[in-house]
Order: sequence, then structure tokens, then C-alpha cells
Amino acid sequence: MSILEVQGLKKTYTSRFGGTKVEALKNVNFSVEEGEFVAVMGESGSGKTTLLNILAALDRPTGGTVMLEGLDVSKIKESSLAAFRRDNLGFVFQEFNLLDTFTVEDNIYLPLVLAGKPYKEMQSKLMGISQRLGISALLKKYPYEISGGQKQRAAVARAMITDPVLILADEPTGALDSKSSDELLRLFREVNSTGLTIIMVTHSTKAASVAGRVLFIRDGEVYHQLYRGNGSDREMYQKITDTLTLLTTGGDNI
Amino acid sequence: MKIGFYPKLAFDGIRKNARLYVPYFLTSTVMIVMHYIILFLSSNKAVSAIRGGDIIQSLLGMGGGIMAVFSCLFLFYTNSFLIKRRKKEFGLYNVLGMGKKNIALLMMCESIICAAISLILGLGIGILFSKLFELGLVNVMRSSSISYDFSVSLPSVIRTAAVFGIIFALIFLNSLRQLRTSTAIDLLKSENTGEKPPKGNIFLGLVGAALLAGAYYIAVTVKNPLSAITMFFLAVIMVIIGTYLVMISGSVIILRALQKNKRFYYRPQHFVSVSSMVYRMKRNGGGLASICVLSTMVLVMISSTACLYADTETTIKTRYPRELNYSMTFDDGSMMGEEGSAKLERLKEKIEEYVSGKGAGINNTIDYRCAYTAGVLSRDRIEADPATADTMNAIGVLDGLYEIFFVPLKDYNDTMGTKEALGGGEALVYLSTGTYSYPTISFNRGKTFDVRPIHKMFEPGEAVASIVPSMFIIVNDVEDATEEISKIANYNGDSLVRFEWIYEFDTGAEPERQYDIGYGLFNDLLLNEEDRAEAGGFRSRYEVRETEKADMYALNGGLFYLGVVLSLVFLVATVLIIYYKQLSEGYEDRSRFEIMQKVGMTKKEIKKSISSQILTVFFLPLILAAVHIIFAFPIIYKIISLMFASDAALVLGLTTAGSFLLFTVFYVIIYKVTSGAYYRIVS
Repeated sequence: MSILEVQGLKKTYTSRFGGTKVEALKNVNFSVEEGEFVAVMGESGSGKTTLLNILAALDRPTGGTVMLEGLDVSKIKESSLAAFRRDNLGFVFQEFNLLDTFTVEDNIYLPLVLAGKPYKEMQSKLMGISQRLGISALLKKYPYEISGGQKQRAAVARAMITDPVLILADEPTGALDSKSSDELLRLFREVNSTGLTIIMVTHSTKAASVAGRVLFIRDGEVYHQLYRGNGSDREMYQKITDTLTLLTTGGDNI
Repeated sequence: MKIGFYPKLAFDGIRKNARLYVPYFLTSTVMIVMHYIILFLSSNKAVSAIRGGDIIQSLLGMGGGIMAVFSCLFLFYTNSFLIKRRKKEFGLYNVLGMGKKNIALLMMCESIICAAISLILGLGIGILFSKLFELGLVNVMRSSSISYDFSVSLPSVIRTAAVFGIIFALIFLNSLRQLRTSTAIDLLKSENTGEKPPKGNIFLGLVGAALLAGAYYIAVTVKNPLSAITMFFLAVIMVIIGTYLVMISGSVIILRALQKNKRFYYRPQHFVSVSSMVYRMKRNGGGLASICVLSTMVLVMISSTACLYADTETTIKTRYPRELNYSMTFDDGSMMGEEGSAKLERLKEKIEEYVSGKGAGINNTIDYRCAYTAGVLSRDRIEADPATADTMNAIGVLDGLYEIFFVPLKDYNDTMGTKEALGGGEALVYLSTGTYSYPTISFNRGKTFDVRPIHKMFEPGEAVASIVPSMFIIVNDVEDATEEISKIANYNGDSLVRFEWIYEFDTGAEPERQYDIGYGLFNDLLLNEEDRAEAGGFRSRYEVRETEKADMYALNGGLFYLGVVLSLVFLVATVLIIYYKQLSEGYEDRSRFEIMQKVGMTKKEIKKSISSQILTVFFLPLILAAVHIIFAFPIIYKIISLMFASDAALVLGLTTAGSFLLFTVFYVIIYKVTSGAYYRIVS
């Protein structure tokens, strides 16, 4: 069953004085099945961040629909959007976006506290997650005291703690060194293997090669997609590189 | 690089950071305006021509010194905000190839531009408005010596320019020092360095709370008005230090304790607010304490000086019920009898002759002799000794202290128009505090009298004006009644008893002529050797109501004026601290709220959280200031009662409540304006 259905998605930006119009997304169509791990690749300006913002309900499309579990995201009222995001989506950002006034533990609790959950319940949830992500020892520390990789793991914990339908990751390895990147990607796959659906926007071929499916976006459209099938990471990596080469050398059809 | 490049870049830098620099210019300009005007007034001829003007001018001179020190501290403080914000820009210049020397040059240009603009504006406005302030002061001192010429005080201009030139130079040197010790990376990153979670220092918090409690205790329990003045300054210092410690440490300790309480802390309405407040208090504790201290100062200054000024008329009326007031002190008690009475009658005839010679009359007289002393009344016994005679130091320390007036029965009957008669061991007793209810009255030495209480008494101004309650004992023979007490010597070696003749009357003359008559009478007649000897030998004092009134208005008006001027300066300072606090918090909070929005906080929740935090931070100093004022009230009341005739509690209460109300309204307006600036940055 597909949990996310994107159809005819359009986003047009108009410059402030109403002059030039920029089409960030022209016509995007795709769907994501439950438990999938999808990577979205594209060059800067291809529209992938716009796509993610619309999926995250941070931005509204000019046309088309985004259905999450049969619910049209663009029809949700402004006032209940934040609650919708909190209950259904988990976010992992390139810049971690941890609050420096909170301990790691409190950062992870944040969405649950906002949802008004009792402390006992939050605590038991955190126990399980922190062990799985290997951050139990970091809980009482402050973000500025831990490394980038540790920060990103804390951010993943924060994204997971609400048991979201979908995790959206925006260049999650962008600010990490290669070792931390590898660790995080392993973590993503592990999390995904327990049934959590992940959509990850990335530049990095290495990161994309961990996914089960890769969507390529160019000029506001889904240009191509690759399935892993039964292939290994290495094979996947090779396929992605080939596709990218074709894309940049200007092949119109693959 | 060309030399012309620096001023241009500096100018651009200031223009692009208008949001930071405009308030800075405003403050320094206001400081300069006030400094010039205070100096101008302290050397102004129109003011020195007023009676009492010289006192006010020396006070103003001191005020100028206070202003200079305060301006220096304050401009340093505000400049630190500017530097913090500008560091990133300087860092960028550094990375792009400007050496530290070049940046220093740039900073120098900026400093010179700042100084020049503020000084030109400040002195210009100061000179423009100086006449207005002069007229204001002359008016508030109730003087008619208004001059219409406009003048510029060159020495004041030079001194103001010098003082603020030095302040700006010091600020520049301080910025240089900061620049020297930091690298390009530091400069670039200076805005977002990770911060340790604050830990309240429990010891300091406790010390602060103890200081406040101690100061409050002093303020509430002090009884003697004279010691109140010294204790007041002690209490002020304790309150200032205590406020800083409590605001900085105490608040953090409380918030950390709240964080430890999981069930309270992990609620949506507390979670974000409490954790951000900890940081806010750490960063702004000092600023908030400054706001609190400044607000308290403004309130105390305005309310007390306004109280003095507002009550001047009543004070004068009660202290001097008649236009001309004479009191003659005799060498001994021999003048208290019949013989003395006859001598005084002859003197009075001469006085009447003199006054009518001046074309005025003697009406509405208060005319009585008395033996004055002070003692402690316990039940039906009076103890008079050197300690009780030293009333100023005994007030509030000795319970039951009274000023005691022995009045001859003849003078009482004459003044009151009664026909009371007394036996040898009898006395009429009047208490200003109520009815005397014992059948007899006795003294530590000397006689015991049977008492008949009376309820009506002429109250001489001096007795009413005193903070010590008064007791009148009317007897046939005053000399006899005070014989024993008068043998005791006070601390100065004089007798404990003073024999006086009080003679007060209205002349019906024009107010301007009253002084001439009053002084003439004193000088021509009462200082005349022959007349004095004839009347039994005396030393005399005289007071003319009109001149006393003018002096009092000059002093109280001047104090009030000074209070208003200094309050204005402190107020500007308060506003600016608040403004910069809001701005710097806005910049710091912006990214934080972005994250919260992404994680799923609604705009409404964010707004609610922001306003609850701002509200707390904003009104905490005001609330603490109100508490300070409430506790300061008794001690201020004591001090003011020293100078007061009428009951000051009501007037002081009114002026305090009034100034607090006015201040709160003003404060709320600042809140609205500055929190608007804050929201614009955050959203």
C-alpha cells in the first residue's frame, strides 16, 4: 500500500514585484510504499528542496496533490499544520537543528512535550530509542559538547520518537565527515528495516546508494528512477554514477 | 588604501546598522543635552539671583558630576552591544584582507563620526533648549526674576565637549583592546559560540537575598529620622548589590529547581519557556537588575522631591501661622512673673508704635511666654535630662518623648480669652497626642501638680512643625514650677529649660513690604541695647513668613527640578537598556524559533511562549522595584518628616503612587514599542 502519493505537483515562485516567474516544480508524480527508503537526487536548483518543503507541509504547492495516508496535505488548515507535522512526520536536517538551550534528552523530548505526552511515557520511549541509536551516554550533555555525528543521531532520535508515518531527511550527511556519514547511513538502513518509511534528499551518491530506490529530479520533474532490486550497495553506487554521468552529459532519455 | 575610503566605509557601516546606532545616538545626544543644561544652569545668572539659588547651583554642580560618571558607565554598556553585533562585519573585513591596523582606523573613523554627530546634535539641542530649562527652574523656584536674554555658556560647552570627548575616546580604546585580543575566526564566530548551561551560584543568591532582607529590615525598623538618613544610604547600597545578586543568581537557581521538577517542566506551556528563561536570566540578569535599580531611583527621587514641593504651601502655613514671628529668649525665669509681664507690655507698646509708624498694624496676635524643655513621659511622670533635651537624637529612640511648654496662666487666659483660675499645686495639661488622663503630674526633680486636662490650646507653629509631640503645662508660677529642672545642664552646658516670649502677628501690609517691617523691627528696636535692658535682657530671633516661603520654594522647587532632570536621564537609560536587551535577544532567539517551528510548534504556541517570557523578563524589574519602594516608604517618610510641618504620609503616599502609576504607563509603552521590534526580528 502506498502511504505517500504525489500527483501533478507544481510550484511556481513569483518574484516580489510580480515580474519573472520561476517554475521550481513543473509536474512531479511519484508514490512511496510503506517501509520504503527513497533517495531524491538532483543538482542545486533542480527543485528537490522545494519538493521536500512541500512534502513537509512547510510550503504549499501551486498545483497538484500530496496525499499522506489518503489525506490531502495541502488541504490541511494552517492552524493544524504544526500538529499534523508533529504527529505524522519526523525531520532530520543537514544542520541538525538541535536547540542549544536543551540537553540532548530534552531535545529529543521536544515533539512529545509539545504533543502533551506524560513524562513516564516519554521516558520509556526514549529508553528504547536511545539504546538503538547508541546515544544513551549522551543524554545529559548539551549539543555543543558532542560531535556532529552524535548530534545527527540525536536528531534522528528526535525524528523517531513520535513514531511518525514518514521520516524526511534533508541532506542528513551534508555536515558530517565520511566516518560519521557511514554510521548515519547504516543507522538509516537499520531504522528502515524495522518498517519506518524514509525519504532522503541528497547530493551524495554514497548516501543515495543506501536507499532502496533513487528518484532523479531535473528542472522540476522526476526525470528518472532507479530500483535497487537485489543489488548490493556497490552495484547501486555504480548505477547511480552512470545515471548522473548521463544526466550531466546531456542524454535526454535513458 | 586611500584615506578617504575609511570615513566612507565607516559612514556606510553606521548607516546600515541604523537599528543599532540610532538609539545609541539618541542616548548619547540626550546625555550631552542634559549635561550641558545642568552645567548651564549651575552657572546661570538668573538662577543665582534667586534666593537660595546658590544652594541649588551647587547641587546642580554635583548633579553634573553624577551625570558625567553615569554617562560614561552607560555609554560603555550600550557600546558593548554595538561591538558584539559589529564583530562579524569586522571579521569579514579581516578575512577579505584588511589588517587589524586598517580595522582600527575604520573603528576610529566610526568613533569620530559618532562623537561628532552626538556632540553637534547634543550641544545644539542643549543650547536651543537651555532657555526653556532656565525658565522652568526659575518658575519652579517661584521666583519673579525672569530675564529674557538668550545666552550660551561657553565654559559649559567646552566642558561638556571635553567630558564626552574623553568618554568616546575611552570607548574607542576599549573596542581596540577587544579587537587586539581576537583573531579573524573569533570575530566571525563571535555571535554563535556555544554557551554553557548557567548554574546559579547558591552562595551569591543567598547573600543577595540576605542583603535585600537586611535592607528592608533597616528601612522598616529605623525610628530616628537623623539616623534614618545615614541608614538610608547604607540600605540603598545593600539594595543595589542585593538586586544584582538576586537577579543574576537567584533567578537562575529558581529556574533550575523548576527544571528538576519533571512533572512541571515537561509540560508544553513550561518546557520551552523555562529552559529559555534560564539562558535569558543568565545573559540579562545584570541588565534587568540595572533596570530595576534605575527604576527604583527614578521613583524614589520623583516621589520624594514631588512630595516636598507639593507640600511647601501647607508646611509654610502650619509652621508660620502669622506673617511676622518673633521669639525672645530670656536669660532666666524672672521674666515669667507679673513684673516681667508689665515690662513686656511696655515693649509691646513700642513695637506697636514702630509698626504703625510704618503704616501697618498688629492683628491676630499670638502672644505668650513659656519655659521650654523636653522630657520622656511615662504614665504621670516626666523625666527630663540631657539625653531627652537632645531631641533630634532622641526621636524614635526614647519612647514617650515630648516637647514640654510651661505657660503662665495669665498668658493662657489672655490668648484664649478664658478666665481659668488655678490653686498653688494645680496645673492645666494639654497633650497634642490626646487627652492626659492621670490626676497628677510630677517631674524627676521638683514639684507635683494636680491636673485638670484641657482640650483647647493655641498651638504655636514651631510646636506643630516639630515631629516630636508637644505637651503644655499651664501653671500660675512658671519660674517656681521649673526651678529644679532648670538647674540641670544639657550637653552644651546650658540650662535644660529655655525661657521664651513668643510674639507673632499679621501686619496687613503688602507681602513685599512685610520683610522690611519685620527686619526693621528686629534691627531698629529689638537689637537696641536700651530697650533690651529695659525689658529684662533677651536675645531675639525673627522670621518673616514671606521670606521663609521664598527660601523654601527655592530649595524644594530646586530639588524637585533636579529630581526630574536626573530622572529623565535615568529613564532614557532604562529605555535604552530595554531596547538593546530586546534586540539582542531577538537576534539570538530567531534561529531557535525557526527550529521549533520545524519540529512542530505552531506559530501560536511560539507567540504565546515568547510573550510569556518577554512579559516575565520585562515586568520582573518593575515588580521588584515596586517591592523596593514599598519597603523604602517608611524610611523616606522618616527623612521627609524632618522637613515637614504637616503629616507627610498622605502626600508622600500620593506622590509615590502617582509616580509609580506614571512610570508603569511609560514602562508599558516602552514594552509595546520594543517588543514590536523583537517580534519583527524573530518572525
